[in-house]
Amino acid sequence: MPSADQTLTVITQFLARADKGDAEVTPATGLYGDGLELDSLEAAELSAMLEDEFGTDPFSSGDELPQTVGDILAFYEVAAPA
Amino acid sequence: MTAPEETRVVLVTGGSKGLGAGIVEAYLEAGHIVETCSRSSTDLVAKLEGDFPDRFSFAAVDISDSAAADAWVKDVATRRGRIDVLINNAGTAPEGVIALFNDAAIDQVVDLNIKGTAYVTRAASRVMLARRSGSIVNVSSVVGMSGYRGLSMYSATKAALDGMTRGLARELGSRGITVNSVAPGYLRTEMSHGLDEGQLTQITRRTPAGRLGEPADVARAVLFLTDPANTYITGQVLVVDGGLTA
Repeated sequence: MPSADQTLTVITQFLARADKGDAEVTPATGLYGDGLELDSLEAAELSAMLEDEFGTDPFSSGDELPQTVGDILAFYEVAAPA
Repeated sequence: MTAPEETRVVLVTGGSKGLGAGIVEAYLEAGHIVETCSRSSTDLVAKLEGDFPDRFSFAAVDISDSAAADAWVKDVATRRGRIDVLINNAGTAPEGVIALFNDAAIDQVVDLNIKGTAYVTRAASRVMLARRSGSIVNVSSVVGMSGYRGLSMYSATKAALDGMTRGLARELGSRGITVNSVAPGYLRTEMSHGLDEGQLTQITRRTPAGRLGEPADVARAVLFLTDPANTYITGQVLVVDGGLTA
């Protein structure tokens, strides 16, 4: 499973090509609304990029959609073997 | 001198026979990598596997099984590294008046023609979204527009595919992905076996081109719509019927 830095790299790459490269990214940053303001297609695109890079992604693997950057990081931390 | 066209990875559902096989062969002849699936293999598939060991692969997959469809697309993306083109061709055409259709017959045509197409498209579009590039063609039918006696459920599913085409074109267009339909007329393939010779003769007589279509007629239209030079064409239904519905 990816490290937090690897995950953040993919998120940053996505934001750059979504013309949101200036956005501040911390674990507390929200993905929608007042945060990164992702619409549904952008969320799907981020989901696809994460799956393409790591083979799985938190948007299509869990029961609840991630709400923050921290939720994405936590998904891979939980998924990693102990 | 024109530079050689870039080799693309092409998925064709239902490519073991009939129109799907014609589309598979057209992409192989154009030099592309072709991955196809259907519920069972055919002699043609075995021949193509021998002729194009590096550029052609077949998988026995029932795409109306969501998990199987998803696994097939992911396997192709992993092995080939990308998916450039998706041709949603797989379909079934149960014949008969709807008053005599049982639940299983209705489920079968909806599950394969609509839900199977959605399952494969969902998985392939994710691969395309990650690269912001791709072309999707749904193979619909003129009967989706005109209807045909005894093919009401098939007609309904093909009309649904044209609706899916328009919706997906709007959904994915901003990410460099085109989505179009090709609506064939009456072809001399397995899919037209429900029509008797009298019906086929009548269709031929009413067709300005004066003949039934061949898979190659439709394959050329599909190649045109997925040509990287034609990214300004999306959300359209290209009718290939010899002028029958003009």
